[in-house]
Amino acid sequence: MAILKTTDLSKVYNPDTVPVHALRDVSVSIEKGEFTSVVGPSGSGKTTLLNLVGGLDKPTSGEVEVEGIRIAGMKDRELTNFRLHNIGFVFQHYNLIPVFSARENVSFIMLLQNQDKEKMQERADELLRAVGLGNRKDARPPQMSGGEQQRVAVARALASKPKFILADEPTASLDTEAAMNLLDIMQRMNQEQNVTFVFSTHDQRVIDRARRVITLVDGAVDSDEHRDPDEGATA
Amino acid sequence: MLTYITLAWRNLWRNKRRTMITVSAIAFAVIVSVLLQSLNRGSYEMMIDRMVSFNTGYLQIQDFRYDDEASLDNAFFYDEELRERVLHADDRIRKILPRLQTFMLAANGASARGAMVFGIDPEKEDRFNDLKGYKTEGRFFELDEQAAVLSQGMADRLQLTVGDTLVLLGQGRFGMSASGLFKITGLMDHPIREMNNQAVYLPLNTAQEFLSAEDHLTALMIAPERERQTESVAAALRQALRHDDELVVFTWPELMPELLDLMEFDLAGPRLMTVILYVVIGFGFFGTILTMTMERIREFGVLLSVGMRRVRLAAVVFLETLFICLMGVITGVILSLGLIALIDPIRLSGRAAQAVIDMGFEPVLPLSYAPDQFYTQGIYVFLIAMLVFLFPLWKLFRLNIIEAARS
Repeated sequence: MAILKTTDLSKVYNPDTVPVHALRDVSVSIEKGEFTSVVGPSGSGKTTLLNLVGGLDKPTSGEVEVEGIRIAGMKDRELTNFRLHNIGFVFQHYNLIPVFSARENVSFIMLLQNQDKEKMQERADELLRAVGLGNRKDARPPQMSGGEQQRVAVARALASKPKFILADEPTASLDTEAAMNLLDIMQRMNQEQNVTFVFSTHDQRVIDRARRVITLVDGAVDSDEHRDPDEGATA
Repeated sequence: MLTYITLAWRNLWRNKRRTMITVSAIAFAVIVSVLLQSLNRGSYEMMIDRMVSFNTGYLQIQDFRYDDEASLDNAFFYDEELRERVLHADDRIRKILPRLQTFMLAANGASARGAMVFGIDPEKEDRFNDLKGYKTEGRFFELDEQAAVLSQGMADRLQLTVGDTLVLLGQGRFGMSASGLFKITGLMDHPIREMNNQAVYLPLNTAQEFLSAEDHLTALMIAPERERQTESVAAALRQALRHDDELVVFTWPELMPELLDLMEFDLAGPRLMTVILYVVIGFGFFGTILTMTMERIREFGVLLSVGMRRVRLAAVVFLETLFICLMGVITGVILSLGLIALIDPIRLSGRAAQAVIDMGFEPVLPLSYAPDQFYTQGIYVFLIAMLVFLFPLWKLFRLNIIEAARS
């Protein structure tokens, strides 16, 4: 079963005034362990797609299923709970809690899940080590570089043991070295722990690493390529 | 919960200067408000304390007719049995003070003045209101002595002094004629100015015999351990005296409602000032919370995105509001307490002092330490905080996650 599936997903903004068709009948299916990039020019609907599959926005029509569960009709509170337990988010601007240390930022998601405090700390430390920040766990975001903050954001996204991680332009605010470092980490997580990643990106460095590239143009799927990043596109 | 408290606390210090300014503004409002009230209430508390100690007692037992017609005819029978019943009505009763009181003419050889005559037990009076401490000359009398102690104003008006003889003319109980000569054994400076011009104290037994009111009192004044016990002790006394149809129990607010009304009227000014002050400070507080909310809209959006429930996020913002409010109130209360202790009592001098003396008051402005004037500030600020909190609450529950995360 697909971990994430959309069926004829459409989103129209301002339907009563000046309708803007941000997404038109998008049907995609993502399997567990995929490392997928959603690409396309500005305004093509990448972020809208991620928002809809992440349960942050409601579609005008169509369905979003996460492991067979339809999320489009869920109420606000149900959706919040669903996101907390099923979806990890990485944002372009890191968006960590500035007054919390790296460790507290990672633990916070587990706290929202009412996990055991001791286990929370252990897992937060383990995740920070995994993203190469084992020695920076007490640093707060203002004391960290952009790359470090984004790695904490990845650790935070993984903390809730989500079914997949949605990353909206995760490297857009990073320099090349930090971006490559982040991609290495995410790729390693994908390969070693079978974590499913879905990115929206403009960044060719991310696209080059992806094993599947979904291209959107004017809100519709223009192409959907499955490939081996070392060998180029396969289909 | 601890994490949410930590988060809220740390959020406050993201902008230390702004938080400190808001806390200071609230503390300032609390200080000004407490001082205004303390100053006004202090004078009234002193006045009430004097009136309660010397005139009414915290509680008073009277004949049920006496309140309408303050006449010796409406005195009540008082014996050991009634005394015991009163004393045992409630464990919190600490002191009782028997009094016989009437109006008479006081005269020297040449002139006469209206006088308020009190038949008293000087030892019990002293324990009740420190009466002997106000003696300026001579001594207080024995219970059976044919003697009188005059207030200084009365003595001055009649040009009498210790050793002279006072003539009292009037009516005893049930129209009996009462006239007698009393040797003046002492003079006193009565702390209630109007009483200082008309009070004449006689020994209780002598007064009862002189006024044909043997074993009778016009009032039995009662003091509980604490002022706040007045109502509950009154209830116990009423229960204990329920079979005495002729006896009634009054509390001090019932005995001097005019004074309380006057106090309430006088306190209206400072209260209005407090309201204005809090409205101004409330807007400042609102400004801080508004800024703290608006500058974190994206953060709120992100927190909601990752799965934080709106109600939990609202709780964090509520804690932030509460912390600011608590810091301001606690700082304000501590500083105002210190300030009151430092300046209490304010002693007037010169013309101001004379003006106050002329009005019949002591030339001091005592400050009140009444606990309610402190904790009510906390309640006011808390209510303001609740009002202010409505904005982030409204904002949070209407927040569009995507727009917020993009902002």
